[in-house]
Formats: sequence, C-alpha cells, structure tokens
Amino acid sequence: MSPSLAPADLLSRVQRDVERAAQRGRNGLRYAAGTSRPKLGQTPKDVVWRRHKAELWHYRNDDIKVRTPVVIVHSLVSRSYVLDLYPGNSAVAFLLKEGLDVFLLDWGVPDEADSGNRLEHYVDDGIPAAIAAACEAAGTEEVTLLGYCFGGVLSLLSAARHPELPIRNLALMATPVDFTKMETITALVREGRLDPEEVVEPTGNVPPDVIENGFRLLKPTAEVAQYANLWENLWNDEFMEGYQAMGQWARDHVPFPGAAFRQTVEQLVRNNALMEGTFELGGERVDLGVIRSPVLNIMAERDHIVPLAAAEPIVDLVGSEQAEELRLSAGHAGLVAGRKAAKVTLPGIAGWIADHSEKA
Amino acid sequence: MAGKPLWRKAFDAVESRAAGPVEAGAHSDVLGDLITLNVRIARRAQQEVERRTRRLLHMANLPTATDVRRLSEQVAALQRELRELEDRRP
Repeated sequence: MSPSLAPADLLSRVQRDVERAAQRGRNGLRYAAGTSRPKLGQTPKDVVWRRHKAELWHYRNDDIKVRTPVVIVHSLVSRSYVLDLYPGNSAVAFLLKEGLDVFLLDWGVPDEADSGNRLEHYVDDGIPAAIAAACEAAGTEEVTLLGYCFGGVLSLLSAARHPELPIRNLALMATPVDFTKMETITALVREGRLDPEEVVEPTGNVPPDVIENGFRLLKPTAEVAQYANLWENLWNDEFMEGYQAMGQWARDHVPFPGAAFRQTVEQLVRNNALMEGTFELGGERVDLGVIRSPVLNIMAERDHIVPLAAAEPIVDLVGSEQAEELRLSAGHAGLVAGRKAAKVTLPGIAGWIADHSEKA
Repeated sequence: MAGKPLWRKAFDAVESRAAGPVEAGAHSDVLGDLITLNVRIARRAQQEVERRTRRLLHMANLPTATDVRRLSEQVAALQRELRELEDRRP
C-alpha cells in the first residue's frame, strides 16, 4: 500500500524520521564507543561445584514447581552466557519462571594446561561429578540433563558411558550425531585436508579465531546483512540491546582443547563414529543404545551450524522407548535466545521437562 | 506499519542474489584447498623465520618464540601435575 500524502500523515512521518535520526545518532555513538553494551549473564546464581576451570552454577529460584533439577551442559567452543543473555532475553530466566530448578555446567576458558583434556575428561569426570553436585544441592536423586550443541554430544556420551547416572530425562538441543551432514563446517579438517596438528596452535589448543572463521564461512554474507540490520534499526534501543548481546557472543569463542579436538576430528568427523557405532572413549566402544531414559531431541529447522539431518538420527540411536523429537522454527542460537525463543522454543522445552519430571 | 525503506529493499535484492554464489564459493573444494595450502605455507614460513632468527636472537642473549613456548609448556605441565595432586587429595 502506498503511503498517504495527507499533510497530517506527511508531518507525522517527518517527525518520526527526525526522531529516529536523532536516536540513530545517539545509539551510533554509544555503539561505537562501546558504552551501551548490555551486561550479560546477570541472573543470580551460586557456584555449587568447581573442578579446575569447570563450574556448576545453581540459579536462585524461590518458586520451584518441578522438583527434578535441570542440569544444562554447555558446549566447549562458545560462552555459556548465550543461555542467560540479559533480562527479557534469557533462556535460564525463562526456565526459572516456569518453576524449574536450573543448574548450568560451564567449562570455563581452557588454556595451555587444559590442552591435554580428552573427551573423557568431560564425559567421565565433569558431567558425572556435576550431576552428583546438582543432586546434592537440590536434594534430589535424579536430574534432567539438557545438552546444548556440543554439550549435547558430551551429555549423550556421558549418559551412554555411565548408565548408572541418575539421569531421569535427557534433552538434547541442536546436537549433531551424523557429521557427514555437517560437511560445510567440517570440510577443512576432513581426510586429505588439514590435520588436527595443523590447526592446533603452540598452546596445544585450537584458537578461538579459527573456530569463529569456520562459522563465518558457513554464511559469508551474513555479516554484511547484519550491518544492514544494524543501520535499519539503529534507532531502536531494544534491537540494539539484542544486537550487541548476540554480536558479542558470536565473536566470543573459547579455545578448543587440542586433545578433545583431535578425538573429535578423528572419530566424529572423519569416521562418523557415532553413526557407525564405532565411537570409543577410554579404549571402550560407546553404545548409545544403552540409553533408556526418556529422550527429547530438540532441533532447529533453520540451523545452519547443525542442520536437521545431522541431529535427526538421535532418536534411532538411543535405546529409549520414549525418544521424541521437537522441531522448532528457529536458528542455532535462536533456540535459546531472542524473542522467538521465549514464545516458541523454550515453552516447548520447559513443558516437556515438566511433564517428565517429579513435581515439587 | 511502514514497509522497508527503499535502500533496504535494494540491499535485500542484491544480497539474496549474491548469497547463493558467495556461499557456493565459500563451500567449494577450491576454496577449501586454498585455505589448506595457505595454512601450510604460513606455518612453514613461520618456522623458517624462527629458524633463521634464532641464532641472531641467541647471540644477543634474547629468547626466541620457541624458547618462550617451551617455557610455557613447562609451566602448563606443572599446572597439570598440581591439578592431579589436588584431585588425589581426600
């Protein structure tokens, strides 16, 4: 519909444009100076367990309606504050509001001393210890384990390696198992291309900028489009808050411990070992079929990092009788952050967890 | 509600046309091979520079990148040993 040419409408449009131009100028200055960055990860929490750099955070909640606590396992290559960006855009705060008792396992930022951390370090030590600490802190005997991205892979492996763990439910968000369907992001380290040793820097870890550039290659024009979004919405304070938070997270990767990276490349990428049933940890084969707890496989339909096809086989690999799928119209980060997460994705996840948990 | 401004419509039109070919290029075998080659050349060049400057720096009694790296590896190894001891503590 063409805009009205009535003098009153014209005047109101001019007024709006002048106001927006002023807001653009103000927000542009603040953005350039970096003075308006939102404070991230501010939901009140306590550290209830710590080992080396890993910490288990217990978020405060005075209104727990679901007794079984949720232990979120974060990825190894990004910062966990994506799950708790800022008030009004926080998956953690949403889950708390739904009456859940929320813990988050944050692996910290690895340095040279962590370069020897193999996947066993996370799967056999970190996750089981964090589950025990969560049970103790919450006064329960079971937990819901909720893994995000590579944290989902670690959760899956931990549940399979340790069937004795008190995992009542296993929920996996954007968790890849078929790495042949992630060709774009894994192309540079496939057989015949770069060897893990060529990617690992002298600290023994994969530097964050390598990981960031790998993600950038997936959608090379996305950054330019983001700048166009920025210019279009520079006047909008709410947009700016979200833009800066997500922008900061997207540029804020952490080093990938070299030993775990080597295992990931050799077994998951080159041998597609989870799909082939040949994945080994500690010299033993890992059988995902031993997982019997209810499983929810949460997939994002517009995920360009972990495409649907890479995550879909989970329900067939686990041995659970109750293995369900939840396909959500979102992107990789959109599963847990942004306006759509609070309206579309998180209610579905929180609902499933509540339905499969013990009520308080 | 006002629609998108003209400049944005033009941008979107260009972006939607360019995104496909640019992504295809970024995901192509040729680029993958080029990046692989680039990483290998850069690593070799760095090693060569280090090798050539080592004697010079040592003559001036200055540490090389390799010396610093070795020291930092030793510190990391010490840190790991400390952690192991800490983990064994009852």
